[in-house]
Amino acid sequence: MNRIKKILKALRASISIFVLSVIFTSCSPDEKIETGNSLTQLIRPKHFPAAHYTHSTNPYSRDGFELGKRLFFDPILSRDSTISCASCHHQSHAFADKNLALSVGIKGGVSSRNSPPIFNMAWSKSFMWDGGINHIEIMPFAPIINPKEMDDDLNNIIRKLNQHQNYPQLFQIAFRKPKIDDQQLFWALAQYMSNLVSANSRYDKFIVGKENFTTSETKGLKLFRQHCESCHKEPLMTDYGFHNNGLDEQFKDQGRYLISQNEIDLGRFKTPSLRNIALTEPYMHDGRISSLTGVIEHYSSKIKSSPTLSSPLAEHAGGFQFSDEEKKALVDFLHTLTDEEFVKNRALVYP
Amino acid sequence: MKKLIISTLIITALISLQSCGKDDPTSSSEGNFNIQTNFVFGATAAPFALNQKLVQPVTGDTLTFSEFSFYLSNIRLQKEDGSWWSETESYHLLSAKSADDAKINLQNVPAGKYKAMEYTLGVDSLRNVSGAQTGDLAASKGMFWDWNSGYIMLKAEGMSPQSSSGSFAFHLGGFAGANNIVTKKTTDFGGAILDINTSNEPTVVLLANPARLWHSSPSVATRNTIHMPGPNAVTMANTFYGNFSFKEIK
Repeated sequence: MNRIKKILKALRASISIFVLSVIFTSCSPDEKIETGNSLTQLIRPKHFPAAHYTHSTNPYSRDGFELGKRLFFDPILSRDSTISCASCHHQSHAFADKNLALSVGIKGGVSSRNSPPIFNMAWSKSFMWDGGINHIEIMPFAPIINPKEMDDDLNNIIRKLNQHQNYPQLFQIAFRKPKIDDQQLFWALAQYMSNLVSANSRYDKFIVGKENFTTSETKGLKLFRQHCESCHKEPLMTDYGFHNNGLDEQFKDQGRYLISQNEIDLGRFKTPSLRNIALTEPYMHDGRISSLTGVIEHYSSKIKSSPTLSSPLAEHAGGFQFSDEEKKALVDFLHTLTDEEFVKNRALVYP
Repeated sequence: MKKLIISTLIITALISLQSCGKDDPTSSSEGNFNIQTNFVFGATAAPFALNQKLVQPVTGDTLTFSEFSFYLSNIRLQKEDGSWWSETESYHLLSAKSADDAKINLQNVPAGKYKAMEYTLGVDSLRNVSGAQTGDLAASKGMFWDWNSGYIMLKAEGMSPQSSSGSFAFHLGGFAGANNIVTKKTTDFGGAILDINTSNEPTVVLLANPARLWHSSPSVATRNTIHMPGPNAVTMANTFYGNFSFKEIK
């Protein structure tokens, strides 16, 4: 009898431990997620929709994030160890390049399009200006093997990583597999990029009622919602779709058509998010417009007509004809999308 | 504390016992079998090999292949009673480089008499959109497009004097809509039975004829490359996949 009591008591204790541990592993959303210079869990802001990338086969961990971060900043991913991902994606510019229209890769090679910023990638279903890449995990494959960017090959990188002084141990801790392979390389980079989340701009604080806008910014937001939001959807400031925004009549770069081979996609490019837009000049897929004022001028009076021109723009033939005050209001509003916390967060950069 | 450790152990044991129960196979024995792809070239079934001059009978092109690789996936076997066995993670990259590179060894298959086999030429759409993969599907195998995500399901490369560049490179893929080339095949082994048991490791021989790529496609003088999904890739894949067939059980 005594023994049964003992077993029952022990069982009760173990069940409560089990329940407690379940509670502890499903962390509350308000828990502080930055520990020192790292991120212990995924940042998924409450005012954002659900992320597209769910980490279903690549569970997020602090070790995975840290490994991805180190790889992102390590030129070991280029053939001659001169170029890292961070060479063309700088935190101070929301992980876009430093005001270059086209980026410079290995041995002075020049990229064919403008380096996009990197943030909120977990919400995106496709990558690159033409959306040719369908998954965040395999996104780095293209710049790694592009002869003008990092010009390496995956087997060479895997060999270098397996022979490295530190990486075998770091991969082992993050993924618990006997040897480093390209899947683990992509998984680590995805864990890092998936947690580059920009959601603390003045606009975000305004949306959740923690900040006020000036009269001009409020006016800019109103104009934005009237004329820009059909493509630059709140709160991520992009519809992740493909549009021809009237830059050309003839297309030197055919954009989305290169992927789809469908004529309706001629001259269409992926809608960039407007978040941190004040930090990512120059603008457009080829970096042809050097300032935000220039971008507003484009939409105001320089839209060029072509069969694939985005219909909201085609309805305003020639442009929106903004007044000087409206142009200023729009630029003022766009500056509220700058996320100072994101571009200064030391947890996002190596070392 | 001791009690806690003991009780935690009990719970762990219970959980592991439960999962053991689920997975425990009831079949009495298992065996292995092989799938071997043999290559021929042209209607006369001339031998095919890499790095050797071959004449394509329809176009008349002289072709010297340096690479011929393709995916064979999702292998299933049907028993005489109609039940199916499916290989898990069934993705195989085969190459004409050597007989071994064109052979799949399948292990721990439930023993029994099988009357049919189903397999897919290409890689199913799901794996084309599921991010980083491993094994034969790893991007490092050189069979995944970096700029336009998706598998190169068949790669035929080589030299030809008829080609303006002197070479040819056909990378066939496409998993969606009209560009889909993923092709499911079945064979009833020509009425034979695949008998898998502990003492018998039979080999299913399949026959591939790379000359078939050009049965509805022009000479390499007209087109010497395909580098993305589209109608040209569909035509080329269809004539090759359509002819891909069962030869014998050895």
